[in-house]
Amino acid sequence: MQQGTNWELIKNGMFKENTLFRMAISLCPAIAVTASMKNGILMGVAVLFVQVMVNMTVSSIRQFINPRIRLPIYMIVIAGWVSVIDMTMAAYAREAYKQIGLYIQLIVAFASILAKAESFASKNKIVPSMMDGVGMGLGFLLAMIVISFFRELLGKGTLLGLDIAGGKPLLIMVLPAGGFFAFGLLMGFFNWIDIRFFGGKGAGGAGGH
Amino acid sequence: MTTKDIVKVTLNLVVIYVIGGLILAFVYAKASPIMYVKQKEEKERALKKMIPEADKIEVSGTWEPHGKHAEYYTAKKGNEEIGYIIQSFGKGYSSYINMLASVDKNFTLKKVSILSHAETPGLGDEIEKDYFLRQFNGKTLDNLVIVKEETKDKIQAISGATISSRAVTEDGLRSGVKALRDKLSGEAKDAAGH
Repeated sequence: MQQGTNWELIKNGMFKENTLFRMAISLCPAIAVTASMKNGILMGVAVLFVQVMVNMTVSSIRQFINPRIRLPIYMIVIAGWVSVIDMTMAAYAREAYKQIGLYIQLIVAFASILAKAESFASKNKIVPSMMDGVGMGLGFLLAMIVISFFRELLGKGTLLGLDIAGGKPLLIMVLPAGGFFAFGLLMGFFNWIDIRFFGGKGAGGAGGH
Repeated sequence: MTTKDIVKVTLNLVVIYVIGGLILAFVYAKASPIMYVKQKEEKERALKKMIPEADKIEVSGTWEPHGKHAEYYTAKKGNEEIGYIIQSFGKGYSSYINMLASVDKNFTLKKVSILSHAETPGLGDEIEKDYFLRQFNGKTLDNLVIVKEETKDKIQAISGATISSRAVTEDGLRSGVKALRDKLSGEAKDAAGH
């Protein structure tokens, strides 16, 4: 069991087990929304929140879950939290909801959240599970910021909607295909750093939704 | 698996799903009336913004683009009709785009605004942006054509989102303004006939 101090748990999620660059899961929604930095950040924040809440919920009910049916139960916890957030925001935070409402429901399909519920939260106490969720969420947010930074800058010549480059240097970067290019290049770059400076073996995940 | 196991597993699943369902029902019951009220307020505010100089905007009829319920409105200042607002739907890349358009008495477009849609974030959702919507100002029915290059009298598509641009311009607005014109001239004839 991966126990450690809270800070180690957070660091683990942000770097060693980074959802996108190291584990290479949750790519579909991540590539779909990173055409602009604002969307990338909003999506990252929403995922951070859901990941933390799901980890805490699964951890707190872990004694009541029969191992044979754990996956359907994780699914309702995830879908339940996503729906609660979706409805609450639609009622009380309409301005923000207009911006990220599109993405909230996508979170149900995040492999990384299910993976962490299964591999960590179901075996650990609430506080470490929360920290693990914070780390995973921050790691995801960080990766989203990096990808969307390059895609928006190169594809639209803007950052957070502000005109920087004047013109559109590489329009393909905001198209879906550009998402794969940006992601592949950045992942290669992070692997190179890992091998060159940290003696790692590089990552090449199996992929997933 | 013994019968006892099956019962245990079933009960476990049922209990957790019932609890989950109850929580969701509770949140929905709290949130949905608020959602309804806020949506209604937003609609009134959105209509007011379409023709700010109007002091009364009334529903004057309904029509059904793509089999959906949509309304059109008459804007009045005092007793004089100063323009119309029509709601329309266009079939986009991944959703029906719900929009409002205001026209003056000669059916020249004044303002277009997008109420809701689920187009691709980062590409199709640019239809909400001002640089695209601004193009509609002063256009008439014949100008509502999408082209890919820069244009003065037509509408330039958003790069990477031609389908969404076309859905707003041709499917939504052109058929909307046409329907509005037909409906209103029909009403005028009816009134004259009686």
